[in-house]
Amino acid sequence: MRDGLFIAFGILTILGGLGVVVARHAIFSAFSMVIAFFGLSALYVLWGSNFIAMLQILIYTGAIVVLFVFVVMLLDLKKESSLDTGSGLAVMLSGATVWFFSLLILRAMNRGSYFASEKVLVSQDMRVISHLLFTKYLWPFEILSLFLLALIIGVCVLARPDSKEGPHK
Amino acid sequence: MDWLDLTIIFVRTAVIYVAFIQVVPIMIWVERKGAALIQDRPGPNRVGPFGLLQPVADALKFLFKEDPIPKEVNKFLYAIAPFLILLPASLVVCAIPIGDYAVFFGRDVLLQVADLDVGLLFVLSIGSLGVYGILFGGWASSNKFSLLGAMRSSAQVISYEIPLALAAANAVMFYGTFNLRQMVFAQEGTLFGFLPNWGIWYQPLGFLIFFIALFAETNRLPFDLPESEAELVGGYHTEYGSMKFAVFFMAEYINLATASGLMTTLYFGGWHLPWITDARLLELLGSRNLLALLQVATFTVKLSFFMIVFVWVRWTIPRFRFDQLMRVGWKNLLPLGLLNIIVTAIVLYLVEGR
Repeated sequence: MRDGLFIAFGILTILGGLGVVVARHAIFSAFSMVIAFFGLSALYVLWGSNFIAMLQILIYTGAIVVLFVFVVMLLDLKKESSLDTGSGLAVMLSGATVWFFSLLILRAMNRGSYFASEKVLVSQDMRVISHLLFTKYLWPFEILSLFLLALIIGVCVLARPDSKEGPHK
Repeated sequence: MDWLDLTIIFVRTAVIYVAFIQVVPIMIWVERKGAALIQDRPGPNRVGPFGLLQPVADALKFLFKEDPIPKEVNKFLYAIAPFLILLPASLVVCAIPIGDYAVFFGRDVLLQVADLDVGLLFVLSIGSLGVYGILFGGWASSNKFSLLGAMRSSAQVISYEIPLALAAANAVMFYGTFNLRQMVFAQEGTLFGFLPNWGIWYQPLGFLIFFIALFAETNRLPFDLPESEAELVGGYHTEYGSMKFAVFFMAEYINLATASGLMTTLYFGGWHLPWITDARLLELLGSRNLLALLQVATFTVKLSFFMIVFVWVRWTIPRFRFDQLMRVGWKNLLPLGLLNIIVTAIVLYLVEGR
């Protein structure tokens, strides 16, 4: 039962991920992303961490992808931008990615069960998660948030119209 | 888990869902009559006594109307958008506890579809998915008004999700759990001998923020900018007709019911009768099932009160402008929510040493 559900939601997640890449229109990419995130949170539930699953939906599906969709609608992308699939670098990079993830999957399959990494998921309790976040992982956490802040400022600087002419004109 | 358990689960789920869906026709009548009462006119009075059969007439009209599909729409997203709103709205129902438990065939039957350990988070996260229906519906309609409504909706829902989550975080800090059932248990009995021991006395500011943010989340007046008919014709559902349009409204009323249920659960004692504990009531009534019935009735009364408040506010307060809406959300509710968290944390630390 648990294995069957895992396979079903795993396939759903992978299909959603494929949809993000393959979809002709950016809006369908976003829609597939919602499905992928939904499948992912179902996997979290199967692993027994309901808390992470709910946060996954609340933050990623409920807020971040909504912003993606918002931007897509704002830009109104009618045409698909052409993909440069022929370049050597692209082929090399995608080849390396496929190789890397195949290795990961093979390694995981060798372990026998889909739930082999049960030890990693001590995180059922939000108390445990919060404690780890505020003690062991405090610095990585804070540095990551600073990094995100820098990214936001960077995007704002880039997106601003030429500052000599003043904003919005 | 034998067949009896399974049957009980199925029957319980069906009964609770049907009860919440029955809110829709009742609310159609209450909304129309309430509007009429506030605007000093008779309202629906032709179909049945007091116009009570008006919802039936409305439903039949929706069913028999032509279902037009405009030429330029994106067919797939246009067709699924109403259900993308209805699905999260009805999923949220399963986390709301409507009573403690009843006894049937020697089994304890929880009066809640699913007793989730992350109940409050479930309600917030699944509830936030309803915005996709509005977004995709508005975009797929290929209509500028619909698109504007959809954009407004996404901006509004994301902005107000933050104060809503902050107020909810306060409740979580105060009760020390995400489980909605445990929160209700914590609100039993009396406070200082004369007040019902309800969450609102401990979290008045939290309740206010939660209440205001819920109006924005459910797209009700004074925050119904995604569909403001004076500017946007009908907003995101301009191009919808027939049953698809009706589904949008079903979702809105189910959302109202769950929002009211959530407020009752978090701040108004859930299924508890004020001033009296369940143990004492059980002694007086002498029967578990009678007590369960009384609990469900109490919950229904509280829920109905908030539904009426929603109608009352809708027909009394004028619509906000969009910049005012954003200002209230980001400059008033967000700092107040953060302040509330700090104060709650300090008080909890001083009083209970947590």
